[in-house]
Amino acid sequence: MTDTPDRKIRPLNMAARQAEPDLPAYPEPVLGNSVATLMDSGVGNCFPGLEFDLRQLDVRFFPGLVFAFPGVTPDGPDGTQGAQLVYADTTGDPVFDEAWPWVQDLAQKLNGPEGSALGSGQWYLHYVEQKGRRIELYDISVWQNALLYTPYEGEIAWWIIRLIERSADPAEADLAIALTQRDPQGQPMGVPVVLTGKRRAYLDGEGMIPDVYHPGELTASMCSPWTHDFRDCACQYWASNHPDVVLGEVPDPNDRGRMQSGQEIPDRTSETDPLQPVSFLDWMRRRTDPAADVQAATTIDGARPYRYDPYEINLHWQELDFVLQGQEANVTPDGELPAADPDVAGPSLPAICADLRDNLGPLEFILALRYLYATFSIRAPEEVTAAEAAAWPGLADDLRAARQILLSVAISEMTHLRWVNQMLWSLTALRPDVLPAYRPVVGPTSGHADPEHSLSLDPATPGIIEQFVALERPGGDIDTEYAQLVKHLREEDGYPPGLFQLAVRIDSDGLQHYHKFRDVHAILAPYSELEHLYLRGVTLADPSDAAVAPALKLLEAAVAALQDGYRAEAETARSNADRAASEALIVEARDIMHLLWEKGEELAKQRIGIPFFAPFRGGCGG
Amino acid sequence: MADGAPPPRLQSRLAHLSGTLLLHAESAALYALSPAQAEEMETALRSGDRAAAAMLARLGLDAAEPALPEQGAPPPVRALALTVSQACNMACGYCYAAGGAFGGPQRQMPSGVAKAAVERLVADAPPGGTVQIAFMGGEPWMASGLIRDTVAFARRRAGARAVKVGFAMTTNATLLREADAEFLAEQRFAVTVSLDGDRAANDRLRPMAGGAGSFDRVAARLGPLSARSDRIKLSARVTVTPENLDIPATVAALSDLGFGSVGVSPMLASPTGSGALGAAEFPLLLEAMTAAGEDWLAATIAGRPHAFANLATALGELHRGRPRSHSCGAVRDYLAVDAEGNYAACHRFVNDPLGGMGDLSGGPDVAARQRFLAERQVEAQADCASCWARRLCGGGCHHEVLHAGRPACDFVRGWLDFAIGAYGRLMAARPGWFADG
Repeated sequence: MTDTPDRKIRPLNMAARQAEPDLPAYPEPVLGNSVATLMDSGVGNCFPGLEFDLRQLDVRFFPGLVFAFPGVTPDGPDGTQGAQLVYADTTGDPVFDEAWPWVQDLAQKLNGPEGSALGSGQWYLHYVEQKGRRIELYDISVWQNALLYTPYEGEIAWWIIRLIERSADPAEADLAIALTQRDPQGQPMGVPVVLTGKRRAYLDGEGMIPDVYHPGELTASMCSPWTHDFRDCACQYWASNHPDVVLGEVPDPNDRGRMQSGQEIPDRTSETDPLQPVSFLDWMRRRTDPAADVQAATTIDGARPYRYDPYEINLHWQELDFVLQGQEANVTPDGELPAADPDVAGPSLPAICADLRDNLGPLEFILALRYLYATFSIRAPEEVTAAEAAAWPGLADDLRAARQILLSVAISEMTHLRWVNQMLWSLTALRPDVLPAYRPVVGPTSGHADPEHSLSLDPATPGIIEQFVALERPGGDIDTEYAQLVKHLREEDGYPPGLFQLAVRIDSDGLQHYHKFRDVHAILAPYSELEHLYLRGVTLADPSDAAVAPALKLLEAAVAALQDGYRAEAETARSNADRAASEALIVEARDIMHLLWEKGEELAKQRIGIPFFAPFRGGCGG
Repeated sequence: MADGAPPPRLQSRLAHLSGTLLLHAESAALYALSPAQAEEMETALRSGDRAAAAMLARLGLDAAEPALPEQGAPPPVRALALTVSQACNMACGYCYAAGGAFGGPQRQMPSGVAKAAVERLVADAPPGGTVQIAFMGGEPWMASGLIRDTVAFARRRAGARAVKVGFAMTTNATLLREADAEFLAEQRFAVTVSLDGDRAANDRLRPMAGGAGSFDRVAARLGPLSARSDRIKLSARVTVTPENLDIPATVAALSDLGFGSVGVSPMLASPTGSGALGAAEFPLLLEAMTAAGEDWLAATIAGRPHAFANLATALGELHRGRPRSHSCGAVRDYLAVDAEGNYAACHRFVNDPLGGMGDLSGGPDVAARQRFLAERQVEAQADCASCWARRLCGGGCHHEVLHAGRPACDFVRGWLDFAIGAYGRLMAARPGWFADG
């Protein structure tokens, strides 16, 4: 029996495999709260969050006592509303472990005649007194020469209790309260019990809620979070994080039959609409409204008529889809991703990099300048005359919006250009065995191949904006190329996660461009027949025109600074030590671009359009 | 045994070899040996336990201590069979319930008994746990109103305690109408239909109480059930008697009828003595089971569905490899309740003093359950100590063993030997069939 065990036997069934060491087994289910029910997983945008009822903290605001805050019954006030004493008990309350004189006095009272008085009959909080100010929890009026006490309802009683402060000195008992009983008409009667103490601290020194609160107590008064009454807390927060905008449901690839039948989803979003996967919908939209399938409005005022009011969710919660990764899902997901077709190999890394360098990099540069040109072509809001403003009150705002959006996309394309370069130098550093040395790609061509992108520079007419929409449309060439990069980085081993995230950012950013251009199109649509109202009438200048020479010089200088900056950054890509040098070059490039913006605006006001691509092709035009 | 086969070897209590697959008897673990190792093991097994133990040690398998028998009070019952109707509209000669009434007067369970039983079942379950309620008979659907009420009650009570509840019914299906099928589908019932073969075989074995055949009647009732197979877990259960030993034909006939799952169960002990299998029939039974098993295996390897459930179940159990102390969950996890509110060890023990487990007034009798489990565990069965299959079989059906002994052990070992071989073949051909879960 001392022979070395023959390791060649192969364990087959689960019993044999579990006989091997270090295989954990969980034979019994683990019961208990899931992590999502913990306080610290609560709603981030609301303090202290809606995962427990704040008022439940205050039911124990006074050491040794427990209150409830009943409101007015549906039948009207019956004299039982207010801060009702549930019971008085010092056991289990950590305050009474402390040795301050006031604690001893209070314990003595609660365990003495005052405590035994409170033990029989129904008692109510009558007043609270702090720093010489006393608030009685009654509305007091004179009626037939007598004082009529109308007890405040529970919520008001709670508001008053919330006002009580807690002094920093633990030895100081600065709070006095009185409790009384009531006659059947709700009038306070009998000898009040007066107690002196201190407001309870709701967090201990370590930030924990004290053990005096029993498990479940802080949530005991809540209705189901799904049906939380929003009016009660006067806010619009969902009781758990909920999405504002979502992507509509797309066909389940596992459910071919339904997809082929082009079945309409009951809320009028359509699975077969190619825009469906990219249009943000208002999650709270009224599912029966004809406008249900249109994009989410961008303002609360715009969205309001088409969405459920928060309180209405209580009635329609079944209609609100679950949202998984930003997408509505009204069926249980299959759990299995559609298998990738093993016969279709993605492009190789060198092919992807060549594409980044020769195609996508140049394209980002070209688009940045095309969009910039279109921005210059639109009138600035301050150019709107008083007469125009009178006739078109929204014109100045629309111009401002259109220009801002166009410029933001142009800047975003420059950011993409930077990411393309960063991707190239990072990949080159990782795989020098298969990739050529990094060379900055800042220009309409890489010098390797002519990508044949349109170099036309046009004013922002409706037709041109439509072209931009089409260019950035998801599923078009641009995002397909980036999607391949994402796929490669995700599926192949050996790449740092940061690179994958970078690729995802470029890929998902395109979605924003598409929506933004659609917005521009919508903003300018009312003026489409009146180009003079919104366009400056810019025409493309001849590259030899002396007026544009300074602008072209600026552009060349910016490109040169960027190339130098990227080259420097690539060389320092693996350390932070020499980053500063490359940063200085990039900052210089940015400064030049700001000058170019000012120069471009100056020229555009004179209706001169800068032939941006001339320096790169020795005479380029439309 | 076929001609030319080696002489049967001595049974070993330590291990069993099926081809090159080695079953370690005590742990129910299965290992694949090389042909050379298998040959050595075979020799060792023929030489007796000493040699077998030494060989196992060489393979590194000597360390496994016998699993400790379960101690202490059994856990709360998780499944309950409600004998809702102790009456039946059929008159099968071999029925364990002797025409549904278990040898007593025919009667239906009062609603109060059903509710009290469900209430206690749900109350004993931990929040977030699961309970199963099976409606049995007799023919349970003779008490369809009671079943509907009980289901609604159970849903309400279980919902209040965050307990999940599942329902099952074993029925002859002769009374089920379209609306009943819809109810069963709504409540996600697992419905087991008793049928014994094609028309000829079934009508011989399963006459209606008036004497007419039942096959056509059942076939006509199946449509609404199988039309809802997405929500009703529908299976057929065949009681095998000397009259219907052609199991492949039975499985094929019931498969044609629309059953995706057909399980067969040999009749070993019948109250009337009629219909039980005898010693002469067991080799034929094994042959028929093996033939059906081969059909299933061929279909499964080819990726086609096949209804024969016994092998699928056996392979699933072999794969889990949990060494058993009992053949089933009766008494430990599962009890039956009769119309008077008495607990029985399982649905077969209704009205049987050997399986009395207390009553509803006092709840399941913990001492009786503990005693039954201790007495019936396979570790306590002298017959079983020398058997390699003891941890797979668990000692056999308590009801059969107590009433008919263990006449079929050679059949059981033969079937398990076939199943182990089939396990190896399926593992090699379609390892994905075994979801490790």
